[in-house]
Amino acid sequence: MLVLTRKPGEGIVIGDNIIIKIIEMKSGGVRIGIDAPKDTKIYRHEVYERIHQENIDAAAGWDLNDLDILSDKLADRTSKK
Amino acid sequence: MKTIDTRFGEVEYDPSNVLHFPEGLIGLDQLKHFLVMPNKKDGPLFWIQSVDDPAFAFVVTDPTQFFFDYLVVPDTKEREKLGIDENGACFILAIVSISPEKKISLNLSGPLLYAPETNRGLQVILEDARYSTQTPLPEIEKK
Repeated sequence: MLVLTRKPGEGIVIGDNIIIKIIEMKSGGVRIGIDAPKDTKIYRHEVYERIHQENIDAAAGWDLNDLDILSDKLADRTSKK
Repeated sequence: MKTIDTRFGEVEYDPSNVLHFPEGLIGLDQLKHFLVMPNKKDGPLFWIQSVDDPAFAFVVTDPTQFFFDYLVVPDTKEREKLGIDENGACFILAIVSISPEKKISLNLSGPLLYAPETNRGLQVILEDARYSTQTPLPEIEKK
């Protein structure tokens, strides 16, 4: 991983159209400003990782019979609303 | 017709029925094509089978049947990716997971948007503290 030292007010340019700026450092956190094209997806890393992991776990946990058993239970439940 | 070998056995499908996720799933961007498996039983749960990885299948449901105030509105960029305009229908689906105790939870922080008009889907991230990747179903009051 490339590691650079920057001060508040300074920034980094990634490619031709992404600019990352260090806004300020406050109570142990670093505020970062990002200028990027609208279709660039930007997420907090841990949130992205959580969803990635859940996608894998959700696919792994099922047994084929589980769906039939739960469908019966839930069909009952949703029809009651 | 084409076929893939899955946990459901050999599945024959019509390529025109394939759901297309142009960006794949979050963190799994190689998974772009999916099939909705026919259900043996009526109910709110559906198997979604990956065409790109036959070992990968997951279960989805309509989260608004269980969380009445759950609302995800696609923005302009997301509608563009789904290939629909502001009037195009867009459904919300949540990925369902099951615990070893057979309790189910919904991933409300990473829902899927689905546009029936174009057969396209998109997984989005909601950074809303109320929603978790494993939100248990609300308790039902027993009478």
